[in-house]
Amino acid sequence: MLEHIVIVGGGGTGGALAHDLTLRGFRVTLFEKGELLSGTTGRHHGLLHSGARYAVNDPTAAVECIEENQILRKIAPEALEQNDGLFVALDDEDMAFRPLFLEGCRACGIPAQEMTPTAALALEPALHPGLKSAVRVPDATMDAWRLPMHFFATARANAADIQPFTEVVGFQTRNGGITAVETVDYRTGSRRSYRCDMVVNAAGPWAGKLAALAGLSLPLQPGPGVMVAVEGRVTNMVINRLHPAGEGDIIIPQRRLSLLGTTLWLAQDPDVLSPPADQRRRIIDLCGRMVPAVRAAPARSVWWAVRPLMASGGAKDPQAISRDFGCIDHSERDHLEGLISVIGGKATTLRAMAETAADLICKKTGRSLPCRTRESKLLPYRRFYK
Amino acid sequence: MEPTKIIFRILRFKPGRIDPPRHQEFELAVGPHTTVLDSLEQLRLEQDSTLMYRHSCHHSSCGTCACMINGVPRPACVTGVLALGTTAVTLEPLTGFRTIGDLVVDMRDFYADLSEEWSGLRFSEDRNGKRLPQTHPGFVRFENCIECGCCVAACPAVGDSDDFMGPAALAAIHNEMLKSPAKKTAILALADGERGQRLCRRALNCSRVCPTAVYPAQHIADLRQMVSAAEGDEQ
Repeated sequence: MLEHIVIVGGGGTGGALAHDLTLRGFRVTLFEKGELLSGTTGRHHGLLHSGARYAVNDPTAAVECIEENQILRKIAPEALEQNDGLFVALDDEDMAFRPLFLEGCRACGIPAQEMTPTAALALEPALHPGLKSAVRVPDATMDAWRLPMHFFATARANAADIQPFTEVVGFQTRNGGITAVETVDYRTGSRRSYRCDMVVNAAGPWAGKLAALAGLSLPLQPGPGVMVAVEGRVTNMVINRLHPAGEGDIIIPQRRLSLLGTTLWLAQDPDVLSPPADQRRRIIDLCGRMVPAVRAAPARSVWWAVRPLMASGGAKDPQAISRDFGCIDHSERDHLEGLISVIGGKATTLRAMAETAADLICKKTGRSLPCRTRESKLLPYRRFYK
Repeated sequence: MEPTKIIFRILRFKPGRIDPPRHQEFELAVGPHTTVLDSLEQLRLEQDSTLMYRHSCHHSSCGTCACMINGVPRPACVTGVLALGTTAVTLEPLTGFRTIGDLVVDMRDFYADLSEEWSGLRFSEDRNGKRLPQTHPGFVRFENCIECGCCVAACPAVGDSDDFMGPAALAAIHNEMLKSPAKKTAILALADGERGQRLCRRALNCSRVCPTAVYPAQHIADLRQMVSAAEGDEQ
């Protein structure tokens, strides 16, 4: 058995990392303080990005997205509604953005097919009849619970020890390195410690709180956003507004609902108890410009999720913060051995974040073990409960 | 609108510590849109960090947060507190499920009769619409069932017998049969097996509590007709 790696955080990143590390042969224990996927990943609106949203202003994230989009279609097809997406232009400003958008998609390798309003309305008759143009891209809808549960199911089948409802509350160190984590198991109230060779902080927007247990700070900014689910599928394709990333510019059909997103503000605390007032009305109004039917559809749920934005404080325009991700080796940055933090990123790039972190672990442990998660088909999520 | 004070009576259970289970009361001020899940989140963050419940998507797609709310199985995320119309709200784990702690139940029994081979996808309602270009393969979507367990918790036949596979599995069997006609004989045998439709007592509770319009009782009725038709063919 290779080194024992402890992963803190049972979100998409933690699940994908548990899968990657077990495939490479490491011993893995994962702790999540609540139910798996109860933080950010499970609550997200389920867009499998084509990358087109980021093609103009955030090309690094865009290229990551289209690569991961193609991989996830192969390794977890049952967790996706693969119906593509449309970017729709509604006014002259959108039309002015269109050539930049098409050029950005081309540069990032994202297939983008220009469509006339008539052709777009043939596919999606609920679109605003006055639309000026549309571009078809390979967006898709993921099941935000079941897609990452495929990773947890496969990791567990490969002997990862997955422990929900168990919180890491402290670290034990010796000679400038972490040697164990201290946990509380909320099922029994019992405290214990787990010896390990390395700890990966994959706590998403809570990663700053975990790092603080070791006396460290992270360049991390919690970025909450509100979403609205309405009854009925107003479309089958993902509908985006053809303009720079903004608020209320996406409709994601999923199962029997249509999910409207989203807003973004910056918070100090990842535990948000209530969103600012009136966001629900704003989202419905903005999305209603693309598909008027959402205004009449009964609301099913209004909720929020907190993005783990990679930013070093003081960011003025939250939409300008990159959706890229990074791995911090705290031995280099803070002279603390045995701790890595994975920050930033998004659900679409969960596998790539895991690959980057696992590559760093291999480098630090001197192991030459290639990543195998690009080709390995995942087990069905139901296997987790078998 | 002024916040309304609500008493939450939550059945607590920690194996070996709060054992047997007992109710604990919490007071919380809720607003007009506050859901039961919002309340649980606030109680955990502000009053008791050891409170355990399942949750993930917060919009009734994942199916994790179902529990008994004033005695009725429902997803906590789409249940408005004030819409319940009671000043005290009782929360308990799903009836008939093994409890891991507080409101968290073990889903392994629920999945025992749900094959991982059955697809969670189907063609969208627009598949047969005339408007799609002829070259379009048809849109797909996830099935309605979110595997929340509400139908199983409400079913009197499941409550009386561990043998019954329950309404969620039977509905999934029927859906799979409709999608894969080649499997019909094998899968109908499953529905007509010792754990299958014969144990259903037609109480219809499953369809009443289903939060996502699966209507399992209708699927069971359809399966029953197919079983009788198949028997008729044999005779």
